[in-house]
Amino acid sequence: MRFIVKQNGCGSERIGRLTGFFKFPGAVIETPTSALFTQGGSVVHLTSDVLSRVFSSPKLLWVPLSNSIQLENGVKVQNDGVAKFAGLPGHVACATLNNLSEVTPSGHFEPNKVPLWTKNGKKMLSANRYMDVMEVFKPDIILAIADGRTALNEGSKRVSKAVNRTSQMLNECVDRYKAAKELQNSTLVGVIVGAANPKKIDECVQNVLKHVDTLGGIALEGITDGTVESMDLNIKTLNEVFEKVGNAIPKNLFHIIEGCWNPTVILSAIEYGWDVFDGSYPVKLTNAGIALKLSFDVTKDNDTMYLLDMVDQRYKEDFTPILEDCECLACKKHTRAYIRHLLNTREMLASVLLSIHNLHHFDQMFFYIRKHIASNTFAIFKQHITKQCEMLKTFAPDRYKGLNEAIDKQTFQKNKKIRVSEVLSSGLVSNNCT
Amino acid sequence: MGGTSKALSFTVQSECPTSRARAGIMKLPHYNVKTPVFMPVGTQGTMKGLLPDQLENLDCEIILGNTYHLGNRPGVDVLKKAGGLHKFMNWKRALLTDSGGFQMVSLLKLAEITEEGVKFRSPYDNSEIMLTPEKSIEIQNYIGADIIMQLDDVVQTTFQDYDRIKVATERTSRWLDRCLKAHKRPDDQNIFPIVQGLLNPELRRQSAQEHMTKDVNGFAIGGLSGGEAKDDFWPMVSLGTKILDKHKPRYLMGVGLAIDLVVCVALGVDMFDCVFPTRTARFGCALVNKGQLNLKQKQYQTDLNPIDKNCDCATCENYTRAYLHCIVSVETVACHLISVHNIAFQMRLMRTMRENIENGTFPKFVKDFFCEVYPDNNFPNWIVNSLHSVGINIINT
Repeated sequence: MRFIVKQNGCGSERIGRLTGFFKFPGAVIETPTSALFTQGGSVVHLTSDVLSRVFSSPKLLWVPLSNSIQLENGVKVQNDGVAKFAGLPGHVACATLNNLSEVTPSGHFEPNKVPLWTKNGKKMLSANRYMDVMEVFKPDIILAIADGRTALNEGSKRVSKAVNRTSQMLNECVDRYKAAKELQNSTLVGVIVGAANPKKIDECVQNVLKHVDTLGGIALEGITDGTVESMDLNIKTLNEVFEKVGNAIPKNLFHIIEGCWNPTVILSAIEYGWDVFDGSYPVKLTNAGIALKLSFDVTKDNDTMYLLDMVDQRYKEDFTPILEDCECLACKKHTRAYIRHLLNTREMLASVLLSIHNLHHFDQMFFYIRKHIASNTFAIFKQHITKQCEMLKTFAPDRYKGLNEAIDKQTFQKNKKIRVSEVLSSGLVSNNCT
Repeated sequence: MGGTSKALSFTVQSECPTSRARAGIMKLPHYNVKTPVFMPVGTQGTMKGLLPDQLENLDCEIILGNTYHLGNRPGVDVLKKAGGLHKFMNWKRALLTDSGGFQMVSLLKLAEITEEGVKFRSPYDNSEIMLTPEKSIEIQNYIGADIIMQLDDVVQTTFQDYDRIKVATERTSRWLDRCLKAHKRPDDQNIFPIVQGLLNPELRRQSAQEHMTKDVNGFAIGGLSGGEAKDDFWPMVSLGTKILDKHKPRYLMGVGLAIDLVVCVALGVDMFDCVFPTRTARFGCALVNKGQLNLKQKQYQTDLNPIDKNCDCATCENYTRAYLHCIVSVETVACHLISVHNIAFQMRLMRTMRENIENGTFPKFVKDFFCEVYPDNNFPNWIVNSLHSVGINIINT
């Protein structure tokens, strides 16, 4: 696989191409882009048949081992990689250790191992064991195993250990990678952790730079531990990290950011030269019953909400699509009232339709990002999106209350309580962006 | 041959020369449905995670909605404003709704049935609600399905009290008259009467004969598939199809297991519905000719075959048993994938039966089918007997 920078914008933002994949030499994935987040190898809530109704070209699949390690035996027997085993042979897989947008217990480290939190509990993984799984999964992109689940306010002792452990495990991954013929069709990505401590992150960057000839890209962890508190950051603090690491890493490596970041953070990172995101944001929205509805037209001021809480009573008799003029199957064929009914009755089709819309719309955001970088208007677009995201804070969470359905009041309020807290605790709405 | 009205025209296109099986076409306002047909159940205006587009690809021509559930959520007002269930869920083909009576008796312990209707407490706000034949039809008129069902007096199939069964059977006929009278959309909706009488042949005969005198376009056989012995079940179906007008479609309610479908098509039934294929899918069970595979079982862990190599559904095309084994009961995608396969299985079975009826090879198909299900030829008696009653002998092959 190759990464080529096609065009630089006014700032550090850039348009790039991931291409030359082993199985699809002709396929091109343009960056900046978001991967499609998977669980158990499948794009969350969507079968391959339905996915093909949303995207017709190859996409990057984000495959955290924490929710897919149970596939190992099957993938091994089939011997054709995790994407094929999961019924998605037309797509490109990027494998990583954990789902960074998930809260897991802290601690539980051993000198050369990190914990993998699966549905069936904790598994301790060494770099060697991790690379064993990678030989089986054969993803197109492998993020090296890392100890990256630390927040920006993490204590220095923990950060110091995380950096040392990550550096040592990267060295082992590189050795395994160089030695194994089976891994030559994959691209190895170095992971940078320890952003909470300027000195330690420099160390981590230096170690990654040692392997720069072997690595195809770098990924940034160590800025969140998955909790809301750790994500509710001043954007300036995050930008400093994005800038510092972005500048330290050669431009010919693609840059990945993991975690469930909202559009404001994503656009900031892109401004500092980051290219790939893990796609957990639209999935979290879907699971909270929320539809994403950004306005992409910079010529029009937008004063409507960019997130719709689809369970809200207000959509009960709203027979319009989530978003007028949206080309996704959910908007072309179904109404807000129908989706609300499906959420209200806890029918699985609700998540399917919301996934279709949210994934399509999120993908569109990246399409417009690339378009504006190409025409040197990225700053305007960023401003346009950031403004919409900031507006929500004025309304939330009050706009997300107020359900008064007579017929099923009790059930509703119960659901609603869970949902509001889900929304708030998922960090979807408020990032202190100012 | 055929019964015709504005809302339904049924043409029998081929008849099996041996059994009572027939293949036909039932023209409904929203779709021309080929019979015999299996109707998957989409209780709340959705088929368990599948898009209407997927159902069309699966060849579903008519699906079911449940009046009781839809009347509660989204509610009649919303459905009215949406312009009916077809538009609300964006399903362009045919729909059938039940009367709501069955749910009341099966879901609600406190239902009280009087001549006026079914009285029950709302599980939502505990208020007392009366579902009358008129009310049921009113709601169903708003939902707007192509075929709607009369409210019937439902008694559990295994119930023994003759007097209660007699009352229920006769009341069902009286309620039919009230339903027909209350019906506001006879030009684009069809009320099907329900033949009752549980396991009593005399009451069933009466019920069927009474319904035959009404101006209706099709009939349902109800009150079966409720836990009765198979030996008691099939004679009641047979009795129904023998009496009911052969120029009108006959719908056997709540039946959907493959072996039952094959027997009852041979007995002359045209329409079936059952929650089984989608419900069992959610438990990780996939339908195959020989029964079902429980994909949770360890034996599938490294099985790289599709669920059924002769199946052309999207699931069998793209996924292995090994993969499904890994995700059943963990990912929603697993439910969707197995539901797709199970509906495809039902549709294929019905299509195969239609083709065999059309080609005059239905008896042979029936024999081959049961020989595959029971490879040691150890056929259950009720299957042998029921098929024998319509001239198909599966034993001496």
